[in-house]
Amino acid sequence: MMTAILWRRALQGLVLAGTAALAFGAGSAGAQIPPNGASLATPVPGGPPSGAPQAPGGEAPGVPSQFGPPPPPPLTAAEKLVAELPPPMPGGLIPTAPVPAGAPMPSADPRDLQGTWIHNQKLEFRMQRDMYDAPAPYNMNGAKVLARRVNSLKAGAPFINASATCRPPGPQWQRDLNFPFQIFQSKDWIEFVFEEYHGRWQVILDPSKAPPPARKAYMGYSVGHWIGDTLVVESSAFKQALWLDVDGTPLSANGKLIQRIRKVDNGDHAPFLEVITTIVDPAYYTRPWSVVRTFGWHPGLTVFNEYNCEEQIGDPSVRADAGLVPEPQE
Amino acid sequence: MTKYRHRQGTFAILAGAVIAAGFAASAAAEPASPNLEGVWKIVTPTKTLKPVSGSVPFTAQGHKQYEENKRLQARGAYDDYDITLSRCNSPGTPRLMLTPERFKIWQRSGVLTFDFEWNRALRQIDASGLPPVEDPLGMGLIPKMTGISKGHWEGDTLVAETTNFSDRTLLDDLVSHTADMKVTEHLRLTNPDTLEDRITIDDPTYFTRPWDAVVAYKRQPDALFPEDVCLDRHDAHRPVFLPQ
Repeated sequence: MMTAILWRRALQGLVLAGTAALAFGAGSAGAQIPPNGASLATPVPGGPPSGAPQAPGGEAPGVPSQFGPPPPPPLTAAEKLVAELPPPMPGGLIPTAPVPAGAPMPSADPRDLQGTWIHNQKLEFRMQRDMYDAPAPYNMNGAKVLARRVNSLKAGAPFINASATCRPPGPQWQRDLNFPFQIFQSKDWIEFVFEEYHGRWQVILDPSKAPPPARKAYMGYSVGHWIGDTLVVESSAFKQALWLDVDGTPLSANGKLIQRIRKVDNGDHAPFLEVITTIVDPAYYTRPWSVVRTFGWHPGLTVFNEYNCEEQIGDPSVRADAGLVPEPQE
Repeated sequence: MTKYRHRQGTFAILAGAVIAAGFAASAAAEPASPNLEGVWKIVTPTKTLKPVSGSVPFTAQGHKQYEENKRLQARGAYDDYDITLSRCNSPGTPRLMLTPERFKIWQRSGVLTFDFEWNRALRQIDASGLPPVEDPLGMGLIPKMTGISKGHWEGDTLVAETTNFSDRTLLDDLVSHTADMKVTEHLRLTNPDTLEDRITIDDPTYFTRPWDAVVAYKRQPDALFPEDVCLDRHDAHRPVFLPQ
């Protein structure tokens, strides 16, 4: 019988080789579009490249049109290497009930993000395309890293990563997992406290009150400021390179994540956070590129389930490496 | 403690599956409760949960287990009795309340979230008064290191009762408990900058009667906690608990 932690680790890609029977629903790993046609709050660096298909409302990708965008440019050698990899596992999402009438709702202040939220899209095991449905702009170094990781999965010997060793996996992977988190906010900083990994992501609004730590953190150092009602957070200074998702979409330790976070309430009793993450990493990508996620309001998940991966990691009755192998270094 | 007696599980993958059918109408208007929010630190760091009465009222079985734990400690066989030391496992309730580092209390919508500096550990007390979420999968029956804590206010005191424990934690660095333990805490501010936690342990298998310990905490300046990863210390053969 699969234990609870193994269930979690399977979701996180830790025992993928042996968990093909996981009953995830049919998934899609395509473009992530804000629900309800929500528009982007601020211009996004790395946004739509020339020839990229349009978001909904425009022409469907791949449908020729006299008035549509020009055809996408041919794939680079690096993009071709990535495109030829085995496809990722389809993501799953266990449905949550709608927020019932009478439940507490978020503050009406768009700059108050506090409350309990949960990623409400299917988990994307590998971010193959950006939010405009263009291929992730890998350079050859990045493509080789991803190919190495994906092929290690295929070979049944996946690489050790932060999640596998019960370490903080970085802001993107931490948020992406479909587990609840709470946001607590003050004038100087905003704290995201996660059920999964008992994780913590701190966004500093006043760097004079919280300068970069002497020792780099797995979650990096994140500084935010408001542009209108969008919180723009730049995360950098990571202790080690990150896997941005289960399959190992790479971010080097010198890479940056720029997150644009805003609260959306369309008056339909289903408020959500929209987080657009721009990945800036010349070590692995030819240009910045962006993905978007949404996180539904869920006050009923404020009391977390206990997450205690340390117990499993240290269990001498199981293999300490869980069958994973060290990743070759560059 | 027998190794692997209870496999702690969480099945949190399913956490989002089912939400309460409805919130009580009272949820919208949260009654004013005393505010325990802040950053706190134990006044007198200790590894021992000291009984107010002076000694732990062990049953014969409880005493036997205590002596066994001392023997294992002397041998350095930590994983045989204290998987916090051997694995960085959550110390659970009430031992988390003895960690020498700071912790924060967030008090929102009736739920108190204790956010510990040590290894980013969490515990929560649900004093919302809201009906429990539906639990068709029985996740609430899975033993937890921190148990399940339900709270209510009696004047300016938060009374929290915690049950549904894993028996894989200790009360402190040596005293075991069973999965049937009930912990009752009375948390209150004795002055604006001092938090008191009166902890009552009720576990008839190991103790002849319920017994109390009192722990005090001093308010600390608001701050972000540095990222603490116990397993990094563990793997570097440094102490799981930071020296004070």
